[in-house]
Amino acid sequence: MTSSAILQAINGTSLAALLFLLASGFTLTFGLMRVVNMAHGAYYLLGGYIGLTIAERTGSFALAIVGGGAAVVALGYLIDRFLIRHTGENHLAQVLLTVGVAFVIGDVSLAIWGGDSLKVPTPVFLRGAMELPGGLVYPRYRFVLILFGVCVGAALWLLYRKTQIGAVVRAGVDDREQVSATGINVDRLFVLVSALASFLAGMAGVVGGAFLTLYPGADWEILVVALVVVIVGGLGSLGGAMLGALIVGLLDAYGRWLLPEFSYFVLFGPMAVLLLVRPRGIFGRES
Amino acid sequence: MTTPAAAIEVSGLTKEFGGLRAVDRVSLSVAPGERRVLIGPNGAGKTTLFHCITGTLRPSAGRVSLFGREVTRLPEHRRTALGMGRTFQISNVFADLSLFENLALAILGTDRRKWMMHRPVAAFDDVCRRAREGLELVGLAHRERTVVRLLSYGERRQLELALALSSGPRVLFLDEPCAGLSPSERQRISRMIGALPRAITVLMIEHDMDVALGLADRVTVLHRGRVILEGTPGEVQANPEVREVYFGHV
Amino acid sequence: MRNALRVPLALAALAVAVLLPVAAGPFWTGLLTQMYVFGLLALSVDLLLGHAGLFSLCHASFFAVSAYTTAILQVRHAVPTALAAPAGLLAGTLLGLVFGFAVRTRGVYFILITIAFGYVVWGVAHRWSSFTGGDNGVTNVPFPDVGAVRVESHTEYYYLVLAVVLLCALGYRLLVASPFGLTLRGIRASETRMRSLGYHSGLHLYAAFVVSAALASLAGVLYVYYNRFVNPVAASFPISVEAALMAIIGGTGTIVGPFIGSMIILWLRNWVSSFFELYASVMGLVFIAAVLWAPQGVVGLVGRLRARLAGAGSG
Repeated sequence: MTSSAILQAINGTSLAALLFLLASGFTLTFGLMRVVNMAHGAYYLLGGYIGLTIAERTGSFALAIVGGGAAVVALGYLIDRFLIRHTGENHLAQVLLTVGVAFVIGDVSLAIWGGDSLKVPTPVFLRGAMELPGGLVYPRYRFVLILFGVCVGAALWLLYRKTQIGAVVRAGVDDREQVSATGINVDRLFVLVSALASFLAGMAGVVGGAFLTLYPGADWEILVVALVVVIVGGLGSLGGAMLGALIVGLLDAYGRWLLPEFSYFVLFGPMAVLLLVRPRGIFGRES
Repeated sequence: MTTPAAAIEVSGLTKEFGGLRAVDRVSLSVAPGERRVLIGPNGAGKTTLFHCITGTLRPSAGRVSLFGREVTRLPEHRRTALGMGRTFQISNVFADLSLFENLALAILGTDRRKWMMHRPVAAFDDVCRRAREGLELVGLAHRERTVVRLLSYGERRQLELALALSSGPRVLFLDEPCAGLSPSERQRISRMIGALPRAITVLMIEHDMDVALGLADRVTVLHRGRVILEGTPGEVQANPEVREVYFGHV
Repeated sequence: MRNALRVPLALAALAVAVLLPVAAGPFWTGLLTQMYVFGLLALSVDLLLGHAGLFSLCHASFFAVSAYTTAILQVRHAVPTALAAPAGLLAGTLLGLVFGFAVRTRGVYFILITIAFGYVVWGVAHRWSSFTGGDNGVTNVPFPDVGAVRVESHTEYYYLVLAVVLLCALGYRLLVASPFGLTLRGIRASETRMRSLGYHSGLHLYAAFVVSAALASLAGVLYVYYNRFVNPVAASFPISVEAALMAIIGGTGTIVGPFIGSMIILWLRNWVSSFFELYASVMGLVFIAAVLWAPQGVVGLVGRLRARLAGAGSG
């Protein structure tokens, strides 16, 4: 029992690592540009599928991650430039538009990659199980994923807190007028942040596709869980995305283990309660 | 014999934003029927004080009572139900709705019939009549069916006042009702305010000294969130400190 | 001119609706029944969207919960329609009472939270297979049978749905013209002003949410008797978005709009999927096109066209 509980904790943490990749991009694009991009789940799925194809052709998992991410960056740029930009700050329009985009991406992916669950092949050294202290045995891949998530999180945190670009982004999250006042090219900054978000989503697809598998509908399932992360943490807050991912990842793991039929309740119930107390999430600001 | 309760009694009211004290331990007492004008330079905390009294903002400390009843913790809509009415410094009217609908909302706000779901608004004869009266009062009756979006700035200011009056307030808070108006519109509004029945207590923020001193029974001067003086218009005009902060650099 | 045309137009539309099953055959009768049912769902979404300014993406939940409740009672427990249908309506409305807490939030937060709520219901329908039948759902739902009203064919059911939908449309008309309806538009225009006028805005939005959920639940009951089965698809996110899209394409804030939108979308899906495999992509493109080019919907387009014609006529 206790060893299962510990395993579930590791399961939850590894899922949290994946969720953070997706949620951080979503939350940053909202924080800086006030853009709600519901196609983030589709970016995840498409990045995963492209990474899968690359991994199958080249045998390189690293190349799959970079390729899956880069392909989504290119697509995301076009969607931003030619579609989302026309919606201004109308969130309703943004949501409808990006849901439409997600439908198209999902449908085209279905036509190309089919309806079966596909698994991104992982390199040999990440396969199999590893022994943890205390005699627990755990899949090596998911353990490495936690480390990977921590590294990406740390990198983002440094970028956000310690660099000049990060400072401008933070200022922009607080008050958008400020960014224009710094004399920085706002357009270029937006493109940069949105590219980063797309890359994270595409990369998450490859990384997640290696253990959650890729299938039609996976785009929405992961997006909704990522949305809960963002809602719990507070829209626009990177720290919120980290904490939210951890909470949601753990809730999901324990929920699936203890109450498999109602795991969605376990996931969303606490969110609902939290919202009654803090409608804008843990780190959300009152406007 | 107890003295009748003040219409508005504010004591030790403080509002902080972050580290900044926008309103600093303000106390004031307004008698029923009184016309009280708040003056003070920009940033003196007048509007914030209004927000705290009417419930738009929660004060950080202090108490507010309305006719002897403490309302410090009541939400804004409850205070309205108890008799507070207000206008906003920047016109806050329903731009997508017609003038009639604007007035109907103001009238129904303190009326239980606002919950009715099965009868058209236009079928309530008394609401229609009162809406027309409210519009007549501000000279907009002929535009009853017009959408507010099409009104001029000055007309919106007048509608703003009509909305506040139509909820039947006992205490009326006017936040710079004449701001941005032409001299003739300004006169019209101040005449209207002057003609309000004494059953309504009026608190008003006003920059125009002629309007302010013409209407006020008493004047409260705010500076940096604090009350620096309270007195009759004559006393206030004569006070050297007020001249310093308010008229000083003119 | 506008008012003079309105009554004859409505009567003509009614005559067409009544005669269509005779003229058009079973396929179109079935499709039209669907159009009315989904039009009603879109109308329920539009009470929030077009009046209160809240964009809900969880209305498939109420729709599905009422459909499941009715189906399970009727099929597994042989409960008569006279009880099963109201029970479904009640179940969906009760869920609305719970999900209604979403009105604590506004704007993007409201949208995201309703999406999350919607997924709870889908997840339960999908995973709690011992009760919901999993992906297969509940099948073999009979035609409704309430004492004197005994439906025995799709054509008869068409008339029943038409009657219910017409009644709902009339009730809806009263609702949006009532003080309560006006209140919702007031909150959309300026919530701060509404509070200062004495409205507990959150409570009004909550009530609107529950009424809207009840309407969506009614659509769910009508749906399950038409479809004869219900599976997790009824609770899925695409149903919620499509309902919103129908309202937007047809024209928000109107009564005919959501029905026009429902007809366009369902017809389009039917037509496209008959020769093109990627019809989900086409639906996606419709979303994009609606946002970019027709935010006012068909009703808005007609209005603009009429204004232009009137302008050309007089000038």
